[in-house]
Amino acid sequence: MRVETPLALPDDKPSFTQAMRYKMKLTMREPTTAVGFVVAIIFAYLILLPVLSILLDAVKVQLGDARRIGGEVGDGTLYYLHRTFLSPVAQNFFWGPLKNTLSVALGAILLSFLIGTPLAWLLSRTDMFARRWFATALIVPYMLPSWTFALAWTTLFKNRTVGGQQGWLEAMGMTPPDWMSYGQFPITIILSLHYAPFIILLLGNGLRRLDSQLEDSARILGATRGQIAVQVLLPLMRPALFSAALLIFAKCLGDFGVTYVLGLPVQFDVLATSLYRSIGSRQTGVAGVLAGSIMAMGIVALLIDAYVVREARRFVTVGSKGSMDRKSQLKKWRIPATGFAAFIFIISVGLPVLTLTLSTIMFVPAKFTLDNFTLQYWIGTDLETVAMRTGILLAPDMWSAAWNTLRIVGSAAVSAGFLGLLVGYVVVRTPFRPLSTFLRHVTFLPYLVPGIAFAAAYLSLFAVSHGPVPALYGTTAILILALTADQMPYASRAGISAMMQLGKEPEEAAQVAGAGWVRRMRSIVIPIQKRSLVTGVLLPFISGIKGLSLFVMLAVPSTDVLTTYSLRLIDYNYTQAANAVVLIIAAVAYFGTLLAQRLTNTNLAEGLGG
Amino acid sequence: MPTIALSQVRKTYPGSSTDAVRSLDLEIADGEFMCLLGPSGCGKTTTLRMIAGLENLSAGELRIGDRVVDSAVEATFVPPEDRKLGLVFQSYALWPHLTIERNTDFGLRLRKVPKAERIKRTDDVMRALGIEQYRDRYPSQLSGGQQQRVALARMLAVSPGVLLLDEPLSNLDARLRLEMRAELKRIHGKFGTTIVFVTHDQWEAMTLATTIAVMNDGVIQQMGTPDDIYERPANRFVAEFVGSPPINLIEQNANTPIAAAIASYLDGRLHDVGAVALTGIRPEAIVLHTDAKDVPQDSFNLRAVIEGVLPTGGSWIVEVRAGGQLLFMTTHVAPTLSAGDDVTMVVEPAAFHLFDTDGQRMLNADKALGHSAG
Repeated sequence: MRVETPLALPDDKPSFTQAMRYKMKLTMREPTTAVGFVVAIIFAYLILLPVLSILLDAVKVQLGDARRIGGEVGDGTLYYLHRTFLSPVAQNFFWGPLKNTLSVALGAILLSFLIGTPLAWLLSRTDMFARRWFATALIVPYMLPSWTFALAWTTLFKNRTVGGQQGWLEAMGMTPPDWMSYGQFPITIILSLHYAPFIILLLGNGLRRLDSQLEDSARILGATRGQIAVQVLLPLMRPALFSAALLIFAKCLGDFGVTYVLGLPVQFDVLATSLYRSIGSRQTGVAGVLAGSIMAMGIVALLIDAYVVREARRFVTVGSKGSMDRKSQLKKWRIPATGFAAFIFIISVGLPVLTLTLSTIMFVPAKFTLDNFTLQYWIGTDLETVAMRTGILLAPDMWSAAWNTLRIVGSAAVSAGFLGLLVGYVVVRTPFRPLSTFLRHVTFLPYLVPGIAFAAAYLSLFAVSHGPVPALYGTTAILILALTADQMPYASRAGISAMMQLGKEPEEAAQVAGAGWVRRMRSIVIPIQKRSLVTGVLLPFISGIKGLSLFVMLAVPSTDVLTTYSLRLIDYNYTQAANAVVLIIAAVAYFGTLLAQRLTNTNLAEGLGG
Repeated sequence: MPTIALSQVRKTYPGSSTDAVRSLDLEIADGEFMCLLGPSGCGKTTTLRMIAGLENLSAGELRIGDRVVDSAVEATFVPPEDRKLGLVFQSYALWPHLTIERNTDFGLRLRKVPKAERIKRTDDVMRALGIEQYRDRYPSQLSGGQQQRVALARMLAVSPGVLLLDEPLSNLDARLRLEMRAELKRIHGKFGTTIVFVTHDQWEAMTLATTIAVMNDGVIQQMGTPDDIYERPANRFVAEFVGSPPINLIEQNANTPIAAAIASYLDGRLHDVGAVALTGIRPEAIVLHTDAKDVPQDSFNLRAVIEGVLPTGGSWIVEVRAGGQLLFMTTHVAPTLSAGDDVTMVVEPAAFHLFDTDGQRMLNADKALGHSAG
């Protein structure tokens, strides 16, 4: 039997309209693309629109400036660009804060390298004592909100420049100088301690995966340890180091809380606080320029990072059997090395947490006598203060703030988690590529926008009613929306990677068995992804509970959450109560991270680094 | 159950410049065990996925029974969930979050089969495949062979008229594979299901199929019974792809003594059949004689030297050099020969496969050489 094998294309090629009708039919058959479009519209509204509106504010005449600039509100203008970059006040708005931002960021990068590099090596390649324990313990600073450390710092070093309860040193009769209490010095130290875990994680992973045969070969050829480090290890680790540095830089750009607490008393502004200030003083146009500048720097940093990572992939050395877990013997250095790790742990976790804890159970700072200790700030009643007459655990305001936090951050985390999985599903499954690309990028955008700027955009967009959307200012809805959008980078990345790993086949099997789309989602996709969905909810929850900048802008007393409540307490100098609230937040963030880690069986802190 | 018919089917994946499948015509009759056989990337899995509805056609038409289920011209597309077929994936694709029992009765639940009947049918099929003792386990707790049975049971439970199998045995070890082959043949007999089976393994195709369609480059090269495919390969590709060790091919245009010897041997037997470009001889069709007196009269014979003897356990592959070309032959009798021995190789006329300049089988030559008709 012989079969003809015609090589020409069949004659009955469908006409253009037939082809289009067929294509439409295929597209509409599966709701994936339709769902994708709905999600895309939601994010265009929740993310793209706010970001664009901030950027547009920078080049449009704002309310109240019409007379000064000349022109109608909404006209195009270069006034704000000029004002921010070139005018006599530009120094205050932009150049000064820029210089501070850069020097803080660079200082933080340097210092965290000094701390992180040896620790990464000790943790991954040596026989230091208690390595496993330290591997988790040294990551803890990143699990806690960065401004917790700022509060601990003020508790210790606050001097007479600012009123209110004294710092411990001041109380003991030593007045620390201003440079030590506020501004660049403490901010740099705190940020480097906070971000050193990045180095430990990224560099540690690199070192762990490194093929030890590479080192062995060098040693056989007669290289000393130092030569190996400089000529073999360092070049191979360069991409990881660079990547860590850029990530720290991008994070420092947007960090608001630490400078807010420690910079204010000495008028030390970074770009994020300058942005906050200009929004506070209703200089919307300048705020737009500042936000745009921060975003531009963040984008450049991440583009460079993406480029470096891609370049690095070219000479990836996949660990063979040589990547076995071989440890250097520290010998007589074993105890000093462990001491170093312990020291870093103590100053980056132990001391701040202990300070904050002690400060909540002492009447007067730094007076270590038994009669000075009390639990009344936690559980007391009938205190002698004007307000806050009960301990924090008995204060109805605290519980309402806690409930608000749970409600607001919880709803935002749940919606972010589900949206993230949905985004992951559409990105991986839709045959319509542009949709997938758009969703991937738009959900990542908030990562580059400082929270303050994002919140400001939400204020200006949703403060008044637009079409069917009512005015949302002062409602929990605006907080939930903003927070959801803000958490999408984490949620969508979790969703995408989970869907990538799932593969098409389990779903196709269900499809062949007769299950329609809804049924497949309900019976196959979501149950299989249960775990990653939990992570996708938990991660935004942890990050949201620590979040400060969004709430600072958008919360009003009736929608107080724990973070804003603690700031309010600081403003009224209820230091003990404020610190107690901060401790509660830190505890929730820490145990939440541990829980997520347990659930996913992975080291979650690695995921947070990205 | 209806016939599956693909006519003039083409499939081009988006973003790809070449066709995965081009102008494919294929009919699968009711109750057939059809194997799509071909090297990887030949379009066989794409064809299977198009039948299942997991891929749509770029052109052409697909019918199941009298119903057009996919046609770009008619803008018709019946989604996989409405085609009522069964499909077993290479990776099995069991649902990791469901027990074996729930994996098996998933389709029955979807079809809202009454509980009593659902339980009965689930039990029946699980027993038939010997997995009833694992009903409460999860897929990850089962071995590859057991998972394979679950994947089959899951599809058989809804008794589809057509069962599509995508290299379902390729992840099993040799022994299990043999067992599952027998199992599949049994299922085919017992359930009367039409089976379309994709494989790159010729033994699998040979032992299981009632019909084999050999595919390459997105085109069906030959369709026929396993015997047809082996005994009368339609073209050079099929001849080379099927058979192990592979068929010996002699380029008639190459200036070798063996080509000249074959040409002069065939000359006396063939008349007006056109130019022979290529001759093929299956390894088992070559017989070696140490004594020239034993050589049968009418057969082709040529002096040859043994180059090597390779035992394969129960049979032997012998390498001989004859007329300037290295040839393989197989034998089930322990050869007494060793490298360097002089022999005469003998081939019956009917064992010659002749191909023209296009690589197509010269059908008109078959009769003259005594080939039995296909």
